[in-house]
Amino acid sequence: MSAAIDYEAFRTDVRAFAETRCPPEIRAVVATYRKLSRKVWYPWQRILFEHGWGAPGWPKQYGGTGWDLKQRHIFDEVMAECDCPPQYHHGLRHIGPVILEYGSEEQKQRFLPGILSGEEWWCQGYSEPGAGSDLASLRTAARREGDEYVVEGQKTWTSHAHEADWMYTLVRTSKEAKNQQGISLLLIPLNAPGISIRPIRTIDGWHHVNEVFLDNVRVPVANRVGEEGGGWTYGKFLLERERLGGANVAPALRQLERTRELLARELGGERHRLKRAMLEERLLLAEAELRGAQALGQEAIAAVMEGRPLGLLPSVLKLGTSVTFQHVAEVALDAVGERLAPRFRPTDAAGPNAEAPGIEWVQNYMYSRVRTIYGGSSEVQKNVIAKQLFGS
Amino acid sequence: MPFTATPIVGGDAFDQACRIGQEADRQLALIDDPAGHLACLRRHWDSLAGLGWLAVAMPEEAGGAGGTLSDLAALAGGAGRGGLPLPIAAACGVIPRLLADQPALLPGLAEGQHRIAFIPAEAAVDDAADVLILASDGSLTGAVVGIETPPDPTHLLLVLGGAEPALLLLPARARGIEARHYLRIDGRPAADWRFTGLAVEPAWVLGRGEVVARRAAEARDLGALLTCVEAVSAAGALLEQTIDYLLNRVQFGVPLASHQALRHRVAEMYVEYENLRGLVLQALRMAAADDGMPWRDIAFAKLRLGEAGRFIAQSAIQCHGGMGMTEALPAIRLARRIMMAEFEFGDRTFHAQRLLDAGRSAA
Ligand SMILES: Cc1cc2nc3c(=O)[nH]c(=O)nc-3n(C[C@H](O)[C@H](O)[C@H](O)COP(=O)(O)OP(=O)(O)OC[C@H]3O[C@@H](n4cnc5c(N)ncnc54)[C@H](O)[C@@H]3O)c2cc1C
Repeated sequence: MSAAIDYEAFRTDVRAFAETRCPPEIRAVVATYRKLSRKVWYPWQRILFEHGWGAPGWPKQYGGTGWDLKQRHIFDEVMAECDCPPQYHHGLRHIGPVILEYGSEEQKQRFLPGILSGEEWWCQGYSEPGAGSDLASLRTAARREGDEYVVEGQKTWTSHAHEADWMYTLVRTSKEAKNQQGISLLLIPLNAPGISIRPIRTIDGWHHVNEVFLDNVRVPVANRVGEEGGGWTYGKFLLERERLGGANVAPALRQLERTRELLARELGGERHRLKRAMLEERLLLAEAELRGAQALGQEAIAAVMEGRPLGLLPSVLKLGTSVTFQHVAEVALDAVGERLAPRFRPTDAAGPNAEAPGIEWVQNYMYSRVRTIYGGSSEVQKNVIAKQLFGS
Repeated sequence: MPFTATPIVGGDAFDQACRIGQEADRQLALIDDPAGHLACLRRHWDSLAGLGWLAVAMPEEAGGAGGTLSDLAALAGGAGRGGLPLPIAAACGVIPRLLADQPALLPGLAEGQHRIAFIPAEAAVDDAADVLILASDGSLTGAVVGIETPPDPTHLLLVLGGAEPALLLLPARARGIEARHYLRIDGRPAADWRFTGLAVEPAWVLGRGEVVARRAAEARDLGALLTCVEAVSAAGALLEQTIDYLLNRVQFGVPLASHQALRHRVAEMYVEYENLRGLVLQALRMAAADDGMPWRDIAFAKLRLGEAGRFIAQSAIQCHGGMGMTEALPAIRLARRIMMAEFEFGDRTFHAQRLLDAGRSAA
């Protein structure tokens, strides 16, 4: 029973593990906001897996830890505090739980072990050029031919597609049904003939996202998760699972702490007196907000554990914390901006400035803008909140 | 069903305080003259003293209810929601805490005959030369302004800061004290006090030294925390009333609530409200776990109250259009109250300064 769990002892164990077992070069990547690619994530996932901690949120029989929600939250918090990569992969946190809930026994046997060990890497093919916030309007079509689907269309913003093995993909299997009902969920191997992947350059200069073109790609019907036409439900289930993502403000607090150190380092002396005072105050305001969010996060976890409804808390946390994250990144930008912003250029490009020490603060600021766009944009969250508040 | 706010600490005391607050607010809205206003406040003061509010946090040995911070939070929350324009944080929390070791005074305080105005060491002055000084001959000079008071104050509880901290309890009508009484924009009684060589009798000095400074700072933090509870609760009610107004006011042939610009503004108010509520909950939790005041949590909450409270109040005014500039609606009276809470028990820069100083000395 959860009453017997000693959460503080658990926290100590996790911390000891993180500090001794997470390789310094991996932690350095996190601490300096460098790109978290499969190359960085995989070895760490492997270490966790071998320790039995490969999938904190999964049931024990499939390799999970059996931890309760509070333990999982502590785990995520400590990982952030120790600069370990967030254990947030599309396989582990997204499609894995969907397969566990709705997949066939064969699909579980086939896909879960690779996710758990990190051998197989996943990406999410939801968004399309014409379907962003209004995802249900997606048009990539899957036409049935015998025991195969033939998939035709385009996905975009697909994070990690260039380093992934599989893409879980929402496709339209019926044009007759209402928007949400004609959608199915397919598991598509990215080496299938007919798939081409093109990088999209983002303002932070790194390669995260891609366009994925599907030209008559043949996918076995056995790779459909659940019912034909059930894709929207499974997609929503997935979002439900991730609703408490905003409850973990540890990464934001960690970034805030680092930014505070940056101010002390960067802004000594009379020349920067006003700048330092102003930035310190902005950071303090951000800290106040994060502490408020942290308290709400604890409330949310307590609510789930006691079986009470979460109400608007997930939206409030997502909306609030994403903006505060951006504020913190902006403070750091303003601290180094005069010196470093002019030297910022795409990291992939050759040239001496790409390596300027501290340039990651500028890069991190650029990347931070996405926080209010993906995962349900701020405007979409406000629509959700207002609908509840106004009763319609 | 449109939004209804959940109290931070609910229960009978909350409901009672809210009812009294709403009643006072309704009555006051119909009274034009300051004297009538004060008389009405005095009636409510006497009745809440009769209900035992002032004794809630006093020790049982002294005839109090021996209540906890949570009991105080219920009262402050209810008063905030109802819009009661009386200094609940000071009267029920700060002053009983500072007088806890003065058994002779407590009965009069509990019954409401001693109506004490609290003058903190940080009280505002118009002029640097006005800072209060207790000379070695025992005479007090100086002037403080904008001090919130109960109706018809009988005493002043005064904290002197500086090198020689002291806690004084002065009879309000002693010679050498001049008062100018008035009503604040949120309908609360207040006064400016000038001391012109007031001869402080030894019996009026309740304490001296570092211990006074420490206890006064803790009492101020309690005041700040209760003010936050009150303001969050007022903000919850303000959100409800703003939503109600937007649902009912029709322009361009549709309710204002159908416009996304206004819906988003309300969603933003809600996010600020929730965040502030989280901080206040956290500070209350920490305070309950420990004897002292969790000053850091309280400072963060009060800092956020400055930011979030003002955003909520201003947004509510904006959403009400011209009506937002009038005194006619309870919602706008709540908005004014929330704006004033910023300036009680340390404004946002006061608390920011404390946090920054503590961070620097730790570094
Ligand atoms: C770095 C990055 C990584 C991503 N990774 C993935 C991924 O791995 N897989 C994947 O499937 N997708 C991914 N996305 C896509 C992401 O989910 C979408 O960008 C997001 O859903 C928004 O859609 P959109 O970009 O089409 O913007 P739009 O929907 O076109 O929105 C444009 C603007 O209009 C606002 N808006 C939209 N609708 C409304 C409304 N009803 N009311 C008011 N305002 C509105 C939006 O908030 C936004 O400000 C990623 C995006 C980025 C930038």
